[in-house]
Amino acid sequence: MPAAIVGETPSLSTFLKSLKSTDVESSIDLFISLLKRRQIKNSRPCALATAQLLLRVVAATRIRDVQQLIDRISEVGRRLVAAQPREMAVGNIVRRILGVVREVAEEDERDGSLGSGRVSGAASPDPSEARRPFLTKTFSGMSPLGQSVTVPHDFHPRVKTPMIEYTSPPGFDASAEREVKRPVLPSSASYAGLPPVSSLLSLLEDPLARSPIPTPPPGSSPRIQPMGKITESKEKIDVKAEVIDGIKELLDELEVVDNQIAENALDHIHSNEIILTHTSSQTVQKFLMTAARKRKFTVVHAEAYPNNHDETHATIVNGGKKGTGDEEEVDERWKPLTSMGITVILIPDTAVFALMSRINKVILAPHSVLANGSLLAAAGASTIALAAKSHRVPVVVLSGVYKLSPIYPFDTHELIEYGDPGKVVSYEEGEFMDKVDVINPLYDWVDADCVDLYITNLGGCAPSFLYRIVADHYRTEDIDLGGKGSS
Amino acid sequence: MFDIVGVYKRLLTEDEDITMPVAAIEALILAIADTPSSTVSETLDLVGKLTAELKRAIPNSISLSAGTDLFQQYLISNLQRPSSGNVDFEQMRAHLVGNGKVFVERAKAARETIAGLGRHFVRDGNVILTNGGSRVVGSMLREAAESSNGNHRGSTRFKVIWVLSSNSVSAAEDESAANIAALRERDIPVATIPSTAVAYCMDQVTQCFVGAEGVVENGGIVSRMGTYQIGMLAKAANKPFYVVSESHKFVRLYPINQQDLGIEQNVVDFRTAKGSVKDEDDARVGSDEGVADVEAQEKAPLSTALDDAVDYTPPHLISGIITESGVLLPSAVSEELIKIWF
Repeated sequence: MPAAIVGETPSLSTFLKSLKSTDVESSIDLFISLLKRRQIKNSRPCALATAQLLLRVVAATRIRDVQQLIDRISEVGRRLVAAQPREMAVGNIVRRILGVVREVAEEDERDGSLGSGRVSGAASPDPSEARRPFLTKTFSGMSPLGQSVTVPHDFHPRVKTPMIEYTSPPGFDASAEREVKRPVLPSSASYAGLPPVSSLLSLLEDPLARSPIPTPPPGSSPRIQPMGKITESKEKIDVKAEVIDGIKELLDELEVVDNQIAENALDHIHSNEIILTHTSSQTVQKFLMTAARKRKFTVVHAEAYPNNHDETHATIVNGGKKGTGDEEEVDERWKPLTSMGITVILIPDTAVFALMSRINKVILAPHSVLANGSLLAAAGASTIALAAKSHRVPVVVLSGVYKLSPIYPFDTHELIEYGDPGKVVSYEEGEFMDKVDVINPLYDWVDADCVDLYITNLGGCAPSFLYRIVADHYRTEDIDLGGKGSS
Repeated sequence: MFDIVGVYKRLLTEDEDITMPVAAIEALILAIADTPSSTVSETLDLVGKLTAELKRAIPNSISLSAGTDLFQQYLISNLQRPSSGNVDFEQMRAHLVGNGKVFVERAKAARETIAGLGRHFVRDGNVILTNGGSRVVGSMLREAAESSNGNHRGSTRFKVIWVLSSNSVSAAEDESAANIAALRERDIPVATIPSTAVAYCMDQVTQCFVGAEGVVENGGIVSRMGTYQIGMLAKAANKPFYVVSESHKFVRLYPINQQDLGIEQNVVDFRTAKGSVKDEDDARVGSDEGVADVEAQEKAPLSTALDDAVDYTPPHLISGIITESGVLLPSAVSEELIKIWF
């Protein structure tokens, strides 16, 4: 345990402070121990800390080729994910950063090959054709990954695709193979890849357009190898600087995510509506604040007892203030909704169903969103979503893209974390505690069909469309980080 | 003229692991190899004709049309793309003819991939309901049964409820029997029930897996008779209902209802003392414009056997489609199809 944080309760801000002074390895260890002890928890602090840490890692790594950098990031990422698999934001950020690195590498290679006069050979159609252009335009700069979703993270292809040794006919020279920017996997690719060539057509795909490398096991990525070599041989663009820029962009994104989501507020909250929300989420508060500047409405706030009620009460009374909770320290301050003339009604979670008939809209903030459109949110969210469903009240979920995880929920029970039962029944009641099991789940899993709309920093989308956003943000080769227990 | 129908049927009987779309593709490749042709449009014309012939001869052409459509699109996109300057026609033809077997191998490997992917859905203590008859589901369950250790005795303990249709003579039932035996061999308890007992069992079931003959554009599936009702019952009982299918079974079809599959099935056969009233119905329906359109295309021979009949399961009943490229939501199917067609 590094000594950097002695004397202060360790938290996100102390970690970020110590990051500057401590060396990388002990920073990683520190972060892991903070994660394990839940001293950094919830999506945003985890995402921030992960991005900052990896920024340091990248800056401190001496790299000879891109592959090394990727290996290094994956290695750190694996350790972080293993430390706290249920904080999916950690894994998400690691994957996003790996995506940045790969993108830089590919750009590098592309520039190189264009420079030497090699234009896409006929055998490999330009991937940009295969992509759906409007998507890459709409989404953020780091997302043009035309790939599909949801390979379980711990899936290993048992059967290797039978690769036949193809002999290139005379018409093809080595450039054809070189031009394959993202080498196309064999048709039965174990990945969700929609490689440049459509996955359906890949059954018949011309083997000439393929990478000569056989299906790599996930985790190791030999597929990137040719790029690395090419990068070496060309005069290098500064990969490291590019990656660092990419990570900084990601950090910027994390910063503005709430504001971007809040921009949609006026489209969804109308005058005199009654909105129900839950927990003290900063994203939701900002969203409501933005709407409150123009419109008058009523907020019914479920208090999220016993895990988040203190913060919820504080948010209602004081707004966002320094010191409301140790993770909130980096958050900016905001006024309470009541100060803007909004009526806020605080209710216990148990009253949700009773009041639902009067509610016009439910707004939830998730802990993480999964690839199939379902979500994890603070305990009580499922009750609210089901009550809303039975009253046909629309449920809107506000989630930054960083909460969006490519993991497929094979077993939803595994995803739920249990917290301190002492919050439900205090430890003073020893006699009572002896006789019963008390559990305190921190999260609820909410099925996709309970959600009507997701609002991300890229705009609104239906739960059934989330797979697309996942596909645009994560590389399929990165989905498996090798971490266990997160699916 | 090349006997496409005969070759197709022979391929299906020779190799029991082959699926209909892949058999269709292979048959078409053999046809191209057999027929000398030197131009693109000649080849496309040939493929078009053979496809039509094949569809006409096979009562239920939905599944095979996935293969023929895929093949045609592949030819078109590769042969007629202006950028494909240096891939000349001969090369393409040689590639297709030379690698026919590879495609089949790939298609089979897809099944193994799905099995590897799908086994993660099977967890300790699960009770799985399947309607059998699907090779992919069978191999997935076998994979789950022996997953995670080498001695063919898996660590996952689950049970299987296998829905058998009443008539147990068809080839599909043989397949089911083999799968059931294989699972029991691996210490997985299997119960067989008639399809009438699905609702009765549904409360014990954790999740349902079914195979598909074709996955249609809106994410629904065309599958053997009875799948639709399993889907409805699973939905009613709030149980996940997964489709296991290779992505080459995606077919460009948008059925509106059960009768809208473009094939004729003599399932609902009204009879009076004078015999079937089918003919009168036909006359009446024939005047309907939409249906007339379908009929004009091709008059498929009646498939009388209920064993071979299929139904259409709409996408809202489906929790996910397990393909070799991952677990797709039904809404993702259209995108895959759009990619090859447009």
